[in-house]
Order: sequence, then structure tokens, then C-alpha cells
Amino acid sequence: MKGIVVNMNVHQVTSIAIRAGKILLTSGAEIYRVEDTINRICNAYNIRCDSFVLPTGIFITAYEDSGEVTTLVKRIKERTIDLKKIELVNSFSRSLKDSTPSDFVKAMELLNSIEQDKGYPFWIRLVSASVTAFVFVLIFNGNIREGIAAAIISSVIYSFKERVLQIGIFPYLGFFISGIIAGGMSLVITTLFEDLNIYKIIIGAIIILLPGMAMTNGIKDALYGDLTSSLNRISEAVFTVTAIGAGVALLLFMALR
Amino acid sequence: MKQIILSFVGSFAPAIFFNTSKRNLIWAGLSGVIGWIIYISIFVRTGNIVISVFAGALSIGVYSEIMARILKTPATVYTLPGIFPIVPGVPAYNTIEYLVKHDLEKAASTGIETIASAGAIAFGIMLMSAAFRFFTKKNKK
Repeated sequence: MKGIVVNMNVHQVTSIAIRAGKILLTSGAEIYRVEDTINRICNAYNIRCDSFVLPTGIFITAYEDSGEVTTLVKRIKERTIDLKKIELVNSFSRSLKDSTPSDFVKAMELLNSIEQDKGYPFWIRLVSASVTAFVFVLIFNGNIREGIAAAIISSVIYSFKERVLQIGIFPYLGFFISGIIAGGMSLVITTLFEDLNIYKIIIGAIIILLPGMAMTNGIKDALYGDLTSSLNRISEAVFTVTAIGAGVALLLFMALR
Repeated sequence: MKQIILSFVGSFAPAIFFNTSKRNLIWAGLSGVIGWIIYISIFVRTGNIVISVFAGALSIGVYSEIMARILKTPATVYTLPGIFPIVPGVPAYNTIEYLVKHDLEKAASTGIETIASAGAIAFGIMLMSAAFRFFTKKNKK
């Protein structure tokens, strides 16, 4: 196509493509964007390839002129939302069109540095989680004291969730326990200060966990035609909200009886 | 005014734990403000959640696509934080709460409302991105 002198073999190109795809998918990018990026990287190196992306895995097959076929499979276990990484990988794959790094090690180093980007320090994220809780209590017409209560609970839940993610037990148990924490702490707070509305505090406290986003993205995937991943994300959302709701309800009902 | 500040913080703070890069944070917050203003002003007049959410998503879609072309970033960077305030997380939770209370009628109606507004948001965002793609492709030809 463009006649760039490529001193990279097919295997190396597909490794770069799958690495970029993995970063995108774990950062919560849409399926069509991941497939687009993989195809774009392969095209930049003049390699014909097919990609098949699910929320839980990536499959790439590249065809060589000699008729040999290289296939790579990558299993994806965890997915969060990390917009900065999406942005970086996106500009990486677009930069390939103008200048193709001919060095495999260089390209891999670049992707590694993107992947290892830690983002904002923990305390800033903690503060932003509690600010979110506070603001959403106010949006639902709560008063400032309810907002502060929700902010405190939300920061406890957020730091708990961060620890759980590091240990790596299954996520839904984490959501369930977060629900229990939210229910329990708001029960304690409302028994201490009886004029506060427990419902508003709970909503504010768990707003950062609620899967409205996953639900919307799931339907967005369906509209782009990625039905498998759409079902995947919607069921993920349903399980998440059930786990949280079960956690909260367990405590509230034990307290009310 | 109070609504504007609340919705700005309501998208700005989520944008931080979505790890938006620093230069995009303010624009992501603004996207939330635009979506929320459209949503709330239509909701006050009609009282129809799905339509107001759809209009909010449309406006966020327009804003994000324009910003994406100006600042050369994927539009998702502005849409995700932008829709955070209008996304149906709370109805989804309410559905489970009604289920637990064995109030099945309410659970069904809130559940359908959740799916409908999630669908409306997704469709609104998609429509705008499709429209923008259509026009940029046309310009190239």
C-alpha cells in the first residue's frame, strides 16, 4: 500500500496489535473501537488480519504472503474505565499512519508505558468518590448533612473496593460486601441522627458502584451490532446491581425486623 | 445556578476516577452540565423521563463529537463522564429494592424504565456519532 520498509515479522506486528487491543479493552473501550484499532495497526504494517473481540477475550489472525497463518488469543479478566489509556492508545494507533516505528522493542516499550500509567493518586480518587456521593445526594434533593454522611460511607466503600481489587477475589462478592457496608453504616448514622433520610444516604453512598454506565454501554454495543458483548455487559450490570441491592437489603431487613 | 454547579461537579468528579487526562477534565465536566440542563429543562415541562434523557444524550453527543474534533481525542472521553448524571443507576437499584420488598408491580415498572432510559441514552449518543461520521465521510469525497 504505502511501501514502508518493514523489518518486523508478522508475529511481532500481531503482538503489538493484541497488546494495544488488550489495553483498550481493559480500559473499557467499545468493541468496535478495539477491532478498529487492531485492524489499523495491522494495515499500517501492510498485513492482512482478522480480529474478533469479545469483552472477555481477543482473537487475532494474520495472514502471511507465504500462506502461513499466525493467530494470537488473549484472555481478558478485569475491566475498568480508564479514559486516559483509551486516549493514549488511540493516538498511538493513529500516529502509525504517518510514521511507522520500525523497531519492535520501541513500540512495545511505548505500549508498556501506557499500560503502566497509574493515573491519579489514591487520595485524589478517594476525594472525588466522596465528592460524587455528596453532589448526588444534593441532586436528589437531600440536605447537606445527608450529603456528608453519604460522602463518608462512599469513601469507606471506595477504599475497601480498591483493596479487594488488589487481592483479587471475585468482583461480585466485593459488590455484595460494599452493599452491606453501605446499609450498615447508613443504619448506624440514621439511628444516631434520626432526622436524616436513610434512602438518600444509601443512594449517594453507592452511586459510584451502580452500573448505569455498564447498562448504557451494553445497549450501545448492541446498536453497533456487537450482540455478544452487549448481552455480556448487560448481564454484568444486572449481576452488579443485584449484588449491591442484596447487600443493602440484607442489612436493612435484619434491622427492621 | 445551583443545578449548573452540581452537574458540573457531578461529571467532573466521576471524570477523575475514570482517569481522564488533566487537559480534558474541565471539558468533560462541561459536557455533563450541557446534558443535565437539557435533561432537567425538558423533564420539568413534560415529566417524561425517557424523552428528556434522550434529549440530554443527544446534546452530549453533539458536544462530544465537536470537542473530539477540536481537541483530537476520542469522543468517549467526553460522553462517558457527561452521561454519568443522567445514567439510570438509581432506578436500577430501586428495581432490586422493590423486588426485595416483594412489590413486584413497582419493580417491573422501574425495571422497564431503567432499560428504556439506558436505551434512550445509548441511542442518542449513537445517533450523533453516526451523523457526524456521515458528514465527515461526505466531506472527504
